[in-house]
Amino acid sequence: MRTEKARLIFDVPDGRLCFADGDLDTWAEHLTWCYRLMGVEEGATIAVQDFGSSPLSFLGSALLMPGLERGVAERLGGRFVGLDASPERVTLTPAVLDQLTVDVLVVRSSVADLLHEMSQRAHRGVARTPTRTIVAFRDDQPAPARVAPWRYLLQIESALLLAPECSSCRRFHLRAGFYALREGVVRNSRLRSARPYRLQGAEELEPGRCSAGPDDWYIRYPGWAAA
Amino acid sequence: MQPCAAYQSSGPIESWPDNSLRAWQLERLREVVAHARAHVPLYRRLWAQAGVDEAALGSMQDLERFPIVKKEYLVKAGESWMNPGQGPVGFSTRGTSGEPLLVWLSPAEQEAYIQPTMRGFRWAGFKPGMTALLMSPVWHRLAACEVHAIHRMGGRAVFFWGSMGGDHTDSFLETLRRNRPDFVTTTAPFLLSLIRRAGEHLLPLQKMFRSVNSVSVVGLPLTPWLREFLRDRLEVGDIFERGGTQEGAALDECAIHGAAHVHEDVCYLEVINGEGKPVAAGTRGQLVVTKLTAAGSVFVRYGTGDFAAFQPGACDCGCGFRRLKIYGRPESSVAVGDRTIAAYDARLCVEEDPALVGRNVLLVRDGKRRSEILTVAIEGAAANEQQLLRRFQDRLAVGRVELIWLGSLRINWGFRQVFDRGEILSPQVREVAR
Repeated sequence: MRTEKARLIFDVPDGRLCFADGDLDTWAEHLTWCYRLMGVEEGATIAVQDFGSSPLSFLGSALLMPGLERGVAERLGGRFVGLDASPERVTLTPAVLDQLTVDVLVVRSSVADLLHEMSQRAHRGVARTPTRTIVAFRDDQPAPARVAPWRYLLQIESALLLAPECSSCRRFHLRAGFYALREGVVRNSRLRSARPYRLQGAEELEPGRCSAGPDDWYIRYPGWAAA
Repeated sequence: MQPCAAYQSSGPIESWPDNSLRAWQLERLREVVAHARAHVPLYRRLWAQAGVDEAALGSMQDLERFPIVKKEYLVKAGESWMNPGQGPVGFSTRGTSGEPLLVWLSPAEQEAYIQPTMRGFRWAGFKPGMTALLMSPVWHRLAACEVHAIHRMGGRAVFFWGSMGGDHTDSFLETLRRNRPDFVTTTAPFLLSLIRRAGEHLLPLQKMFRSVNSVSVVGLPLTPWLREFLRDRLEVGDIFERGGTQEGAALDECAIHGAAHVHEDVCYLEVINGEGKPVAAGTRGQLVVTKLTAAGSVFVRYGTGDFAAFQPGACDCGCGFRRLKIYGRPESSVAVGDRTIAAYDARLCVEEDPALVGRNVLLVRDGKRRSEILTVAIEGAAANEQQLLRRFQDRLAVGRVELIWLGSLRINWGFRQVFDRGEILSPQVREVAR
């Protein structure tokens, strides 16, 4: 999309995402699909520890973005809590989570270890039901060392690439109709401002291997415990 | 806002006569109290004990009979403070005064708050077709209304990558350079961090801000000199102060810059003394917030902990909404003798000297609850010290003042403005800060 027509522009690492009116719902629907594929239930309360210009944040609810008819919260019939990924906000998260029951905590990988440390410190000696955690990671950066998440979500902002770890096959799905994969490069099929992205260390698998998304391409990361 | 026959008033609500505005507010207040009694167990219990309900509200003054609630109380209340219609989006407060509080936003509440946001942006010079570089909508409940306001006013919204901390100044500047916005919303500490970074790395800040007509800032009460400093360093048309709390207070400055107007169509604010009685305009007291929308998290007589004062008299801009200056909070102030000195008060004394404007000014605590000496730490080398000491003594009526000149030590601009002496002076901190 030409920048002049965009009503909403998000500068992201290595690129920018430009949306005209009506574009955002496509991506809120896709992110909701990602959550469902990972096993998140209807009515879930999802807390997101990421920056405000991350799709995980701004697609969270229609209340956050004009022109978004239904965000993830409205599509799942649930709730969204935005927590920001600055270190000072991460230190507050254990106290926030003490105030409500969160079904899923989505955390940016760069602050996942810090959050883990803060949670350990805050709840030392306290029996507590562990929150299911999804780590949103980039495959060109080191994975968090101390966190064993429930699921992983591959997130490359400049490509608006959101590829969830499937709860059935445990591979990452590149959803058919949204992404095209060729020779290790993922191209976004629906947003012109998105940039192609070359996967790092991923093994590509052809469609037809998982009934949850039979037309999708799949990737996995050899050596990863979760994949 | 529609003309309202019931109050015999027409035109925008900010131009209504005071009695019409108060009558309109009273009806909203009764709705809020009825809603809270029906849906929020905490208020039902609290007000039953106090023997008050919506029928007790014959005028806005009757609200004074309702008990004040504080954050600790709501945090402890847990589910009994929640209500089924509070909405799908939660925001966390910054937790500067202890634990953070989780506040919920609903579509009806957001709709109510978008209108005053548009009003504030109009005052600050935003026009259809402009591009605005905005704070993240996830950062604050009021920030979530900003992008909707810009969209409805026919503008384009741009967001930078990152957060409002010193780590992301370069990211902000890159977005500024790339998108050439006409209008910017941000925090004053972040702007000051940008100025510092530009100074240290010889960045052409004024060139980067060339497209910007006005900047709307939150997060630090501006002194007249700091506003001028920001305007000059950035070479922007004007700097406007926004104010507000996650709990429902919403304020914006008009171009007169006397103090921010309270958006009295969404909130009713009180300033009270230690006995819970309202104080006269011009006198500082504690800020108490009541939201006038029966939606989202319910706040009725919420003591925010802020010190504030209504400004006396009418504003020359013609807006009938009262004006309020918020000076600080307990965590941004120190007790000296029988006085409470806010960091704002110290900055007011320091920034009167043009040589000292734009330096970070911090209050220093000695671990005692109350001290007889006011200790102020100021960035940079000593300058005009005797005059400054006299200003502190004259303006703040404190007997003894100690100044600590921080030299090349740089403390991050932030919301925290009071430090313990050990934090400021320990060699380790000084080394890290360097």
